[in-house]
Amino acid sequence: MRALAVTERDLKRFIRNPFVIIASIFMPLMYLIIMGNSFQGELKHLPVLLVDQDKGPYARRMVELMQALEDGPRTLEITRESDQKKAVSMVRDGFYKAVIIIPPDFSKDVVKNVEPQVGLLLDNTDSISANSVSGAVSRATAYLKTEYTAVRPDRSRPQLRSIELYKKIDYDASLVPGIIVMAIFMGTTFTGAFSLVMDKFLGIHESYLSTPLTRFDLVAGTIMSGVLITTIMSIVVMVGGLMITGIKLAGGVNTFILLLATMVLTALGLLSMIFTVLGRADHPRIVGVLVGFLNVIFYFPSGAVYPIESLPGWLRAFATVNPEAYAVHAFKELILKGSGFVAVRGDLMFLACFTAFMLLLATLTFKRTM
Amino acid sequence: MAYAAEVKNIVKKFPSVTAVNDVSFSVDEGEIFGFLGPNGAGKTTLIRILTCLMKPTSGRAEIRGTDVVKHPSLVRRNIGVVSQALTSDLDLTAYENLNIYGKYFDVPKGERKKSIDYLLEKVDLKDRAKDLVATYSGGMRRRLEIARGLIHKPYILFLDEPTIGLDPQSRRVIWELLQKIREETKLTIFITTHYMDEADVLCDRIAIIDYGKIVALDSPANLKRNIGGFDIIEVTLGNSGPEVMEKLKAMSFIKNITEKDESLRIYVEDAAKSMPVLFDEFKKMGVTTQYLAIHEQTLEDVFIHYTGKTIREAEAQKVSFLIGAGAPRKMPGARI
Repeated sequence: MRALAVTERDLKRFIRNPFVIIASIFMPLMYLIIMGNSFQGELKHLPVLLVDQDKGPYARRMVELMQALEDGPRTLEITRESDQKKAVSMVRDGFYKAVIIIPPDFSKDVVKNVEPQVGLLLDNTDSISANSVSGAVSRATAYLKTEYTAVRPDRSRPQLRSIELYKKIDYDASLVPGIIVMAIFMGTTFTGAFSLVMDKFLGIHESYLSTPLTRFDLVAGTIMSGVLITTIMSIVVMVGGLMITGIKLAGGVNTFILLLATMVLTALGLLSMIFTVLGRADHPRIVGVLVGFLNVIFYFPSGAVYPIESLPGWLRAFATVNPEAYAVHAFKELILKGSGFVAVRGDLMFLACFTAFMLLLATLTFKRTM
Repeated sequence: MAYAAEVKNIVKKFPSVTAVNDVSFSVDEGEIFGFLGPNGAGKTTLIRILTCLMKPTSGRAEIRGTDVVKHPSLVRRNIGVVSQALTSDLDLTAYENLNIYGKYFDVPKGERKKSIDYLLEKVDLKDRAKDLVATYSGGMRRRLEIARGLIHKPYILFLDEPTIGLDPQSRRVIWELLQKIREETKLTIFITTHYMDEADVLCDRIAIIDYGKIVALDSPANLKRNIGGFDIIEVTLGNSGPEVMEKLKAMSFIKNITEKDESLRIYVEDAAKSMPVLFDEFKKMGVTTQYLAIHEQTLEDVFIHYTGKTIREAEAQKVSFLIGAGAPRKMPGARI
């Protein structure tokens, strides 16, 4: 079969230039290590200033609660400041994230129950930090008057009992499905159509375009080598990701087969799609630009870094046809939850249909002549 | 009789230029047919049409009676192509390059192996068969690509500027290789070149192409003969006088004679035939020859005759045209 000869040629060339493959394995793993350790759930060590203008008993209680936040979850790092103006200017200059101001009549107002207020001036240009500081201070103010334990607990209030269905997943572990998809995407960008673009750029394609190779031979042959390289790469990235994050795969051989099927179908779908987009490109720079563009539009609305459900409507609509979204969902089910075929069959079916459609489109749009 | 290749009124237009303009010719079986012209004359476009890499705007081209536009798959099975650019895979060995191309043509495994061994021997690369092509010189790559073009035993081999960029020694090796292949296999070879000497040495017939049109087509000898010029024998005689000049002028095979410094320039139709006669006459007259040089008609003269310019001038004109220095002017034909 002539397509296999195309695959053989491509594979031999990649094997003799392993640098690209190694770099493409290394990058998603570095992403996992850096991202996983940079964004660790709740924020910590946020520097805030505290201006106590009251110094009364409830002001002292308020300060204690703030210090408890500093010593306990380490959300805040509190520095006392007496001058309110100076404190505000230090926030404006970027040295602190917020100023907590306890006004002069705070204790009196607490005692009189006349809506005591704590001032909070936030640097809202950093919205993530601002939300965390605001949340921490709100929790502290809620505890201001609950130092006594009630003799008779109020049984009329509903109690929340949350039960976690799966064992605790750390933030870095939750990134593993995403980095596998990232590895697949990277693999599909430097194999497949890119090989043909480089051939065109170097003028090599003229030699094999004058052979009996058909459009299908060329498209299928290069896609097959791309699938092989990309699947091996994504297995290595998955194993690396599992080792780094300490996740243990549940489900044994069945799960592995389903993972492999997801990897192969995702690689096939993306390779066919990129072939359709790049089939007529003749310069590597075009590939560079388009690949960067495709990466942004497919990776971020895939659920790899942010839940699809929380995206705006138009992006949610796009996610319904985004192959990476189905791949991420399948990998999450299989790796993080240990689910079986039923949980991922919809994903696999979509990826199979997407692949068939794109492969047909790639073959039809590929230009066989010069 | 079916021709190995036949081209009828082929036109290929690009948005800004007509690269091939109503070209017709035929290539006989077993001949080496050359397409000679400056860079940009339309040679590569024509070879791309014949090898199914490009569709003509109009006209018809056939390989062994098969239309290149209607039945490209069939044509591709019958042709071997050596492109102008070096197209062998650098990351593969010579053996792998040939083996994979053999697979592209569905050559069975056993036959493929035999062909590869035979061809590597023929192109003198057997000792380097397992080395990566990245370690090869330009001449070695070109030899490998000629072998690759023959892996499926094609009916006709197309070579687009096969010695471009090679040193004189490598060019000579390629010429010898092509001549050897033709002698042994009786293969039809279609070659494009802008080197006069290459066309003269290799080709049975040559079509001279300029600005997309064929301006002359014949054997190199006929082309030179037909332009009606003369070979020049330049000679410095040791002890000659005015009587020698008179005697020479009286000889019928001498068409003209001029004096330049201390030398005589004797114009004859065929220098090779005239030389022995001339030496006999010098001997009879008792004069000695101190210096002798022969300037035979070349294809360069033929090219000048038909286009009014040397091939280098033609290329320079095309370059200036391409960089916007002005459109090329059609120069009037000049006779020597």
